[in-house]
Amino acid sequence: MSTTLIKLENIEKVFYTEEVETHALSNISLTINKGEYVSISGPSGCGKSTLLSLLGLLDTSTGGKYQLAEHDVSGISKTERARIRNKEIGFIFQSFNLISDLSVEENIDLPLSYRNDLSKEQRVKMVKDSLEKVNMSHRAKHFPSQLSGGQQQRVAVARAIVGNPSIILADEPTGNLDSENAAAVMQLLDVLHAEGATICMVTHDPRSAERADRNIDILDGQIISDQSNPAHKNFDAATA
Amino acid sequence: MIMQDFKYAIRLLAKKPGFTILTTLVMATGIGLSVYLFSFFNMLFADLPFKDGESIVIIAASENGATNFDRLSIHDYFEIRNNVKGLSQFGAYSEESVNVIGREGARKYNASYTEPGMFELTHTVPVLGRTFATKEDKVGAENVVIVGFDIWKNQYGGDSEILDQILQISGESYRIIGVMPEGYSFPRRAELWLPLRKDAKQLSRDNTEYIRGFARLDEGVSKQEINQQLSVIMQRIEQKYPKTNHRKSAYIGSMSMSSVGSGIAVVYSMQVVAILILVLASINVGNLLLSRAVERSKETAIRVALGAPRARLISQMLWESIIICTMGGIIGFLMVAWGLEITQGITAGFFPGKMPFWWVFSIDAFNIKLFIAFVISTIIVTGLLPAWKNSGENFNDALKDGTRGALSKKSGRLNKVLVISEILISLVVLICASVMVLSSYNRTHADIGAETQGIIVADVALSDARYDLASKKSEFINTLQSRLENSTGISDVMISSTLPGLFARTNKLEIEGKEYHDNKGKHEANAIVITPGTLGKLGVELQQGRYFNNSDNGDDKRSVIVTESFVSQHFPKQSALGKRLRFTENDQQNPSWLTIVGIVEHTRQGDNPTRSKLPSVFRPYAQDPRVQVTVAMKSALDKTSVTKILRDTLRSIDSQLPAFRIETYTQSVYRVSASVRFISSVLLIFGIAAVVLAGSGIYGVMSNTISQRTQEIGIKRALGADEKHIINELLIAGVKQLLWGGIPGTILGGALGFAMGTVMGVGINEIVILSLTTVIILGTIVILATYLPAKKALQLEPSEALHYE
Repeated sequence: MSTTLIKLENIEKVFYTEEVETHALSNISLTINKGEYVSISGPSGCGKSTLLSLLGLLDTSTGGKYQLAEHDVSGISKTERARIRNKEIGFIFQSFNLISDLSVEENIDLPLSYRNDLSKEQRVKMVKDSLEKVNMSHRAKHFPSQLSGGQQQRVAVARAIVGNPSIILADEPTGNLDSENAAAVMQLLDVLHAEGATICMVTHDPRSAERADRNIDILDGQIISDQSNPAHKNFDAATA
Repeated sequence: MIMQDFKYAIRLLAKKPGFTILTTLVMATGIGLSVYLFSFFNMLFADLPFKDGESIVIIAASENGATNFDRLSIHDYFEIRNNVKGLSQFGAYSEESVNVIGREGARKYNASYTEPGMFELTHTVPVLGRTFATKEDKVGAENVVIVGFDIWKNQYGGDSEILDQILQISGESYRIIGVMPEGYSFPRRAELWLPLRKDAKQLSRDNTEYIRGFARLDEGVSKQEINQQLSVIMQRIEQKYPKTNHRKSAYIGSMSMSSVGSGIAVVYSMQVVAILILVLASINVGNLLLSRAVERSKETAIRVALGAPRARLISQMLWESIIICTMGGIIGFLMVAWGLEITQGITAGFFPGKMPFWWVFSIDAFNIKLFIAFVISTIIVTGLLPAWKNSGENFNDALKDGTRGALSKKSGRLNKVLVISEILISLVVLICASVMVLSSYNRTHADIGAETQGIIVADVALSDARYDLASKKSEFINTLQSRLENSTGISDVMISSTLPGLFARTNKLEIEGKEYHDNKGKHEANAIVITPGTLGKLGVELQQGRYFNNSDNGDDKRSVIVTESFVSQHFPKQSALGKRLRFTENDQQNPSWLTIVGIVEHTRQGDNPTRSKLPSVFRPYAQDPRVQVTVAMKSALDKTSVTKILRDTLRSIDSQLPAFRIETYTQSVYRVSASVRFISSVLLIFGIAAVVLAGSGIYGVMSNTISQRTQEIGIKRALGADEKHIINELLIAGVKQLLWGGIPGTILGGALGFAMGTVMGVGINEIVILSLTTVIILGTIVILATYLPAKKALQLEPSEALHYE
């Protein structure tokens, strides 16, 4: 029996700029179960990144209801949102978003440093384990500027998983990488998924989308298709 | 090409008028204040306006290493003159006020008693007549005088037959032999010149007279070389005459320096402050231009991609600096011209008579050169920051959208350096300004121990020739006091050698029962003579004993009144009444013991804070008559009426006696600290400018830094950092910068403040408190400059912050 991790009901997002009202998302309803690997695709400006921001509590919806791990997170405070992001969500960005002044291990430790329930030793071990998972232990003391793009994204993956989040949200994780590095990062996500991680990835690269269990297509702020990937037997359609 | 860049820069500036006005005003403030202060001091220390004026030096005495342009013993002067190499055209002079009887009655003028040669030294010839002949400088020679242009015009109506006419000066007749040209007042404020007639051979070292020397520095000889020689010569004299020359030395300095004395530490500190203000303004404008360069980094990248050479890009960025700094400079320069005009009027009030003749505050070649130099410097400094920033920019990254993960290390370092510099400089400026303002406050708000309201004061100087005996002086003063008291409209008359709040003569004294081995161990006090009733009428409160009365009159009486400060210093926890003291400087042969009959509250004499606690000893005028006295008249009448009453009364007693320096007591006390007040006001303006520049500058840089870190903040929030975490992190970074800039800034500011405080009478404890207060003010600015932009950045949703450009 699959456990529901994310449940969106009639989510709307409207941007207001200089008297222009832009409906970025309209009437989005969606469920993601634990252990799923979901890709969200669509053309530029369709609203897929906005959806990922709402899923990651990086932004608030204009309307609708959002449940994460059976808790309504639609109207929670900024502090509570920060706590949930820190413990339950891991982010991987297209532009890596590493802090240039921090070393690799410091970047990975960053989300842990915002938690009060971990000792220094625990944090060190978690960072070390995370680095090993992405095979970057040898670069722990380096700074982002000393790494290639592929290495930087591996560090970003390590940072995303270091706190054992409930879900990993990836926004075009291969968008800034060459094909070889892109393949390596996707391979890494496959491994994480195989180990039980829930992944939701925004991509417009069909090859990346193919690796997900389930593909959601968005156009003009609305879901136009949500189907399982036949290549993946473990797909459990949430909409079924 | 250049015109194209210029037009583009104009277009950019016109597009953001707020930015253009702000940066121009900041630059105007920086350049204006700095040029003003340097110009002010340049004019204060200007070379004398004579041919080779820069080589004219003053020979002065120093004691215990303090160089205050003190007067030299005539004996030491002749020793120096005979032994020093590298100086020529020697002369000696002394300055005094004299009573002159002219067409308009008796008037007071500044006289310079001088050896022949002064006029040749300054390459100045009289407009009428001649200068002194050598034989006229001999004791017993005919009395001759050279008058200044003003006396010739005002007293003689420019009469071409003035030569050989007789002028009554302090009761003696002098034949006029020359008239000096308009504006000539050498050595400082002279209005007429008399032969010095001092012969060291006729005086003993114990009974010497004091003068200052002038000379010309030979070509190729430095002042340091001469001062080394003078030091050796004076050491030799000290060995030979240890009693009179203990720890005394001599040195040379420029005439203009002699008007400043120990205040030179203040002058140097203020010049440092002026430069720092300019640097502060440049950093601010540089930072604002830098933030514009950051905003336009994509545009710059496009230009590079299109093949723009680096030099062209830098030149384009420099155009904005050139326009802003030049416009700001011109506005600042206009402010300087206006400021100097005001200064001319204010500085005239520092002196009761004329001010030093080389003090002409106006725009000259120096100002213009300084203005150009400062504008060029600021263009380089303000243009350099954005140019430096862009020289290391990865243009390829800038062209790629959204690849910047966070503020680059280089930009971060630059911003930190800017904030630290602003904090450091602001602290130095603020500490110096606050020391001056506190000094001014202390001087102007200190209790002088007397009431000044409703009192008109005037000076009267008796001539030694007509009032040679003590009894004559006393008789004159008694008559003057009683006639004035009987005049309608004058309620009280107080006559004193000086009044509380004004400068007083000090004397060494001994206390009966104490042992003294040499003059150095003796006590010092203000020695003031007063007529009976004066202290009570001035409101100087009696604490024990009695005021003087008519029973104290007579040069055979020996009574004194001392201040409570004298008692606490010399008779702690015991009654001082009946105790005896004696002055030992003026009456060395047989000083009389004087009995304390009364104790009054402390009175402050002069405005020197380091000597404000010096006790005073009052004697009845009749026991120690002086030639110059201050007459204070309490009256409900206006100044003009009181002046008429005084002049009429004086004329009725002695037609040759003028009353001079007639003003209200309040004005008189005010003038004592007028120069400090003025400098404090200037530094207060600098302090306010520093606070505004530093506040806006630190806010600008911090806000810019945080704005550039918006993406980084977004990342951290995405990773779970809440607002508290982010704000704390930014505040800690701000506090670190505060410490980096604050510690050296406090040390440097404290050191400069201490140098100023030593002269201005601000103690080390006060400087520490001022420094800490300044640190707290700047700390608050830094915290606000961090907190407010951070709160603003946190208003963005993390998703917006992640894509912030």
